[in-house]
Formats: sequence, C-alpha cells, structure tokens
Amino acid sequence: MEDEKGYRWETEYEKTWEAIHEDESGSLQASIDDIIQKAKRRKMLEKIGNIRLGMMRHLYLIVDMSDVMNDQDLKPTRLYSTVKLLEHFIEEYFDQNPISQLGILITRNKRAEKITELGGNPRRHINALQSLKDRKCQGEPSLQNSLDLALQTLKHMPSHASREVLIIFGSLTTCDPGDIDSIIQTLSENNIRCSIIGLAAEVCVCKKICKQTQGKYNVILDESHYKDLLYQHLSPPPATSNTSSSLIRMGFPHHTLNLVNKEERPSMCMCHLDSKNCEGFNTTGYFCPQCKSKYCELPVECKACGLTLVSAPHLARSYHHLFPLDGFIEITLATLHDSDNLHCFSCLLHLKDINVYKCPVCIKIFCLDCDLFIHETLHSCPGCSSNRGNQHEKMDIT
Amino acid sequence: MSDKNSSSLLVIILDTNPIWWGQTNSKSGANTCLSTCLNSVMVFANSHLMFSHSNKLAVIAAHTNKSCFLYPLPKEPVPIDPAVDTENEAEENSVKVPQIGQNDGKYELFAQFNETIKSEIQNLIFNDKLEGELYSDSLIAGAMSMALCYIHRMEKEASVGEDVSSRILVIKGSEDNAAQYMNFMNAVFTAQKQNVVIDACILDNDSGLLQQACDITGGMYLKVPQMSGLLQYLLWVFLPDPVMRCKLTLPPKAQVDYRAACFCHRNLIDIGYVCSVCLSIYCSFSPICSTCQTTFKFMGPPKILKKKSKRLAS
Repeated sequence: MEDEKGYRWETEYEKTWEAIHEDESGSLQASIDDIIQKAKRRKMLEKIGNIRLGMMRHLYLIVDMSDVMNDQDLKPTRLYSTVKLLEHFIEEYFDQNPISQLGILITRNKRAEKITELGGNPRRHINALQSLKDRKCQGEPSLQNSLDLALQTLKHMPSHASREVLIIFGSLTTCDPGDIDSIIQTLSENNIRCSIIGLAAEVCVCKKICKQTQGKYNVILDESHYKDLLYQHLSPPPATSNTSSSLIRMGFPHHTLNLVNKEERPSMCMCHLDSKNCEGFNTTGYFCPQCKSKYCELPVECKACGLTLVSAPHLARSYHHLFPLDGFIEITLATLHDSDNLHCFSCLLHLKDINVYKCPVCIKIFCLDCDLFIHETLHSCPGCSSNRGNQHEKMDIT
Repeated sequence: MSDKNSSSLLVIILDTNPIWWGQTNSKSGANTCLSTCLNSVMVFANSHLMFSHSNKLAVIAAHTNKSCFLYPLPKEPVPIDPAVDTENEAEENSVKVPQIGQNDGKYELFAQFNETIKSEIQNLIFNDKLEGELYSDSLIAGAMSMALCYIHRMEKEASVGEDVSSRILVIKGSEDNAAQYMNFMNAVFTAQKQNVVIDACILDNDSGLLQQACDITGGMYLKVPQMSGLLQYLLWVFLPDPVMRCKLTLPPKAQVDYRAACFCHRNLIDIGYVCSVCLSIYCSFSPICSTCQTTFKFMGPPKILKKKSKRLAS
C-alpha cells in the first residue's frame, strides 16, 4: 500500500505552533476558531456538483465489540462513545437520505452477529443500538466473518442502489477463518463500497479493503475528529460506474385524520401489529394507495404489497445533494466600495472581518457565519431566492 | 415567560405584493388594504414586545421582486421624500409618517418600531419601479432564508445561559410560486433542524406549500375567514408561544396533502415512478428521464418481452 505521501512522521519538520497567534487579550481561541472555520470552508469547496450520486443507499454499519472497545481512551469507553455518536449518525442519515436503508452488525468473539436487518425506521435501529451498551465486549473481532454477513444481504439488493459497508474498528487485529483476500475480491465484484474508521492506529488490511472497494479509510485523532469522520459518511457517495439506473415505483399515501370521515372505524396500523398495548389503534394514518394497509409513519415499504411509500417532502429533502449551491467567493472587505458601511445581506451584521463572501450569482455579500450556515444547513442562497432574475434556470427541475 | 433567561424571537414575514393587494382592494373595498393590515401587524408586534423585556422582533417584507428587512435596520433610516410619485399603488394616501418626537408618553421601543416599519414600507413602495414583467406571487422563500440566517445569528449572539426560542410568522395573501419549491423546502427543513416553528396566517389563497411547512415544523396554519378581524386572529392564535399553545383551544389542524406532483404533467399522483438517479417523479413509465437524461432498463417480465419480439419478427 505505498502511497505517494508517506506517513506524517516521515515528512518534513513542521512548526505547527507557528500558525497560532495570540490576540490582544492573550487568548488563542480566536486563532483556533479561525483555523477551524478555514478548514470548514475548504471542505465545503471540495464538494463538486454534477456528479452522479448513489441516492438510494443500503448501508451496513459494522460495530467492533471486541474487548478493546472497553478501552477508555474515548470517554467513558470506546463503545459508549461510539454508540452515542452512532445514534446521531443514524438520525442524520435518515434525515439526509430519506429513501435509504441501514442495518447494524456487530463482531466479537471471532464471530459476526446481525443486530438489525436493513430497514428504513431510525427508531428501531437506535433502540437496538442502545441495547448494545448492555452487552459485553469480548474476544477478538473478525473482519472476514462480518463482511461475509453483510455481503450475504447486500448482494441481493437492486443494482440501482448504492451498497455500502461502514466499519467502526477498534481492534488492531482480526481473527479470520480463511483468506481475507477472496472476500475483498467478492466485495469489489459486487460493487460494495467498504469504508473503515479506525479507533486506534492504521492497520494494513483495513487500508487494503478500503482501497480495493473504493471506500475511505481514516483513523481518528480524538472524539471530535471521530465525529467529523463519521459525519463524512452522511452525504451520498458518488455512484460507481456499474450502478444501473431505473425508475422505481413508489406510492404517495394520503394522510387521513380523525376529522374527515366520522364514520371511519379505527383500525390497527401495520407497523404496530405486534405491540401489546393499544398503540397504533386509531383512525389516523397513511394508507397505501395500492393495498390500503395503514401505516403511522413514512417512509416505509408496504408489508403487504411491497410498494415503497414516501411523501413528497421526503424526496425534496435529498434534492440539495443533487443540486448543490455554488461556493461563495472570498473577497477582502477593503477592496469593496464604501467598505465601512457594509452589512451582511442575510443577517444584517455589520461587516468588520477582513474577508467577506460574495455569491457569484446574485453578487450579494455575506459574513463568514452566514456563508457556513448557508452551505452547511440551508443549501439555498437567500440573495438568489429573493431575486427574480436568477432563480429560473436552476428551478426548471421542480 | 416566567423564566428570566428565556427570550422569544419572532420574525414576521409580510407579503407586500402590490399586485395582490391592489386586486384585493379593488375587489372587496376599503377594509382590506395594506395599511389596515399593517396596523394590525404593528399592534400584534407591539404586543409581542410587551410580553417580556427580552423578546425580540424582526420584520421582513416579501415583495414581488425582492425581499428585504423592514425592522431592524442595519443603518439609520433615510428621510423619505414625500413628493415621490405614487402612481400604480393601491396604498396611495394610506401611511402617514408622523414626526418622531410627537409620541410623548409612548414606550420608545414601540414608537421607534412603528416609525421604522411605516417609513420602510413607504420606501419600499415608492422606490419600487415595477418594471418589466409583473408577478402576482411574492418571494416568500427568500424572505424565509433571510429570517433563518438572522435567527441563526441571534441565537449565536445570545448570552450564555439565555434560551432563545424562535419562530417565523408568514402573513401571506398572494399565490404560491412553484418555481420556488426547492428553495422553500430547503428553508423548511432548515427550520425543522434549527427548531424554528413556522406559522402561517393566510389572507386569501390557500397555500399548499405553507401547509406543509407548518405541519413539518409544528406550527399553526390559519386561513383568516374575515379580513376585518385580522388583529383578533393574530392576537389569539399567533401571539402565544408554541409551548403555551397546547393549553389553548386553537383551530384544529387541517389535513395536509403530501402527494407529489409529477414533473411531466404537474398532476397530483398516488402512485408514481421515481428516477433512481435524480429522484424526479413521473406519473407513467418513460424510458429516458427528462431531468437527468438517464436511460432506464425496462423492468417488465422478460418472458413476455421475448414473446412479443418473436411475434414482431415473424
């Protein structure tokens, strides 16, 4: 695995501390904030639009449950910290990839075990994840067994979907029954992208897996870096060339409320059929347009007829991945006309920083905070959307 | 309200579309014009400020060709020239600007707020040249994005331990604009993520987009049955904070139509086909996606296909 770039300790002597300067009060915070925000901007600019993305993701999370996960280098333990981060990850994952699915596997005692099947309900996964806290971390993990288990399900997924595995790997060893190279081969043949986040140190076999399956391999520095690395996997990855495309049949159910049909009898919803209490027994719900089974939550795959049921806003939620907002141009405030009297267009903040940000389309000026907020969360430029001239060409798709 | 460390930020988005206001005024007479609506909004805004010292307020105008802040202002308001030409406007002699300083005994914040709003609205209308094409819809999505940026800034600037709860009230009369759908939805999802409640007070045309926005963010959607009672509705329905609303008897939630409109004919559909690459929605199967130009494999049962082709060949 020789990279062009060697390891950090092999590169030249870096004076990292020289990038940090004290401000007037002697605090380093301003300088650090600056570095963080610059890094965020850089990451933002790296995103390129106009590439085909695998919007329908099928992701298996593999969590290492070997005894190294009891280590306390992440507080309180590696496992607790992982579970906490994954909870947020799962919520965000379904928020940003509303028509995607996810499943959880664990590996310990040289074995792999399925915790949840692939599914689209975040609650179920989070509950299962929380139950992991009560389990004991023991033995050694097995990469081969867990990849094999993920492969068994993922290879049957439709070819237009993006198949992914994300491994949280704490151990430095793996205990495999056979030749791991063969499973790596099968993974890449089946178009399964495999990414690993290492919690300890770089391991050669992990690097090899990720490289051959076109995934990402990263090792964490600390907890916040862990979070960053994990959240990188939230946005859909570029589609591989052999992903096929197809039209998927979907249903858009009507939401029925109590008030409309007084004569309507209450009924049991399909998602709470096994529940012991009366939860899910009422007149409200979403009815499958094909077979009229009732569900209390969307998106869901109809248990009776297999139709994927979504609502229009669910699809709209993913549009920002497909039509990303262009990056703003960084300009120095001093070069602008009337530079003492300028205000951020969207938050009215009086601009005092050295650099301000200009939208290339509507030429409005924004402050750094708004620039980050607009690109990270809002995904549409307030200037462009409050100006008639420049919103039509892009809006043709709706 | 009782907690000292909590404040409430209310951003009012006011639809100032001159075409809609002009039409409504000529149709239904003097009791529905922008100035009466503005009076109600000012009383409502003052009541919000009166609730607590720490309450904050912002007003954004969603106009036909731009959206802009009416309050607060980034800079000192510029004195207006009263001799500006007022043709084309329905609100000709509606808003008079009293001289600042004549409001003895009035709470300064109220006076300042009311003056600013009045003069800014006047500015907006007088300086609006209305050239080129006229649109009967307003740029609500832009105003909402601005509101969210402003809320983001205020929440960031709030002192440590201060708990800011923010909401957006959209007062809208004009039609929905389908071209704004993506920007609008982006704003709604951001609001949901930032825990900002979106309320809608609809003056005329029912808005499918705002119904969804209110439902997603947990806000109130109300179509005002009578324009003359606007202030009453504002004070009863929209003044209480979302946390207090569960204790009040408010109008029931309306049924929200979440069906999708297909990209090909704009029909509302129950079952449709979605492109796996760009998520465009179609009402019938088509071999090429018109949005992203992807060609699709035909997914029909292969046996029947073969038979058909044999027949064709023979």
